[in-house]
Amino acid sequence: MDVVNLAELSGNIAVVGYGLAAIGPGIGVGLVVSKTIESIARQPELAGRLQVTMWLGIAFTEALALIGLATPFIFG
Amino acid sequence: MQTSSQKLFSKALRLNLLLSLAVGVLGSGLGVLFFGLPGVYSSLIGAGVSAIFGAMTIGSIRFGSKLGLNGFYALVLGGWLLKVLLFALLLGALQGATFISGPMFFFAVVGSVLGGLAIDSYVVLNAKIPVVEN
Repeated sequence: MDVVNLAELSGNIAVVGYGLAAIGPGIGVGLVVSKTIESIARQPELAGRLQVTMWLGIAFTEALALIGLATPFIFG
Repeated sequence: MQTSSQKLFSKALRLNLLLSLAVGVLGSGLGVLFFGLPGVYSSLIGAGVSAIFGAMTIGSIRFGSKLGLNGFYALVLGGWLLKVLLFALLLGALQGATFISGPMFFFAVVGSVLGGLAIDSYVVLNAKIPVVEN
């Protein structure tokens, strides 16, 4: 039986990897920031503490993005 | 006068820059052993990139806290967007470069990022921030 190509893709698969590396942290940072805004709106006097906690949340989330974007150097 | 959270961000910024310096020096030593001169360039570029991006996050929150709520989030989220875009463009430009050793660059970036997280956690856990502050 002959093999038939039903669809053909061209381009670099790394672009899909970039999208996957960006979408998760993007949702994560959005959630962290939205909850911080909500908390500051409820208790504005806690803004300093909440910003520090938010920074830690963003740092952990963006680490995932940076590692994800650097993976082509080791797996590419 | 600096608030206690601003002092904390300044401390974290200093420690993160020191960490990147250490990763750059240590990585250069390991890089020259395993990959030759490209290993040195890779570890220096990897540590430098992580230092700049870590500093952008801390700096945006540090200086954004002086602005109003809208300005704060514009600076923090705009900085994040710009940072990820710049990082992707830089990696795209570096990918075909012959003077870069891929594994060394990856380990320098990952080492700096994970070390930075450890420093951030240490600084926050040891911080004394009053519940209410003007």
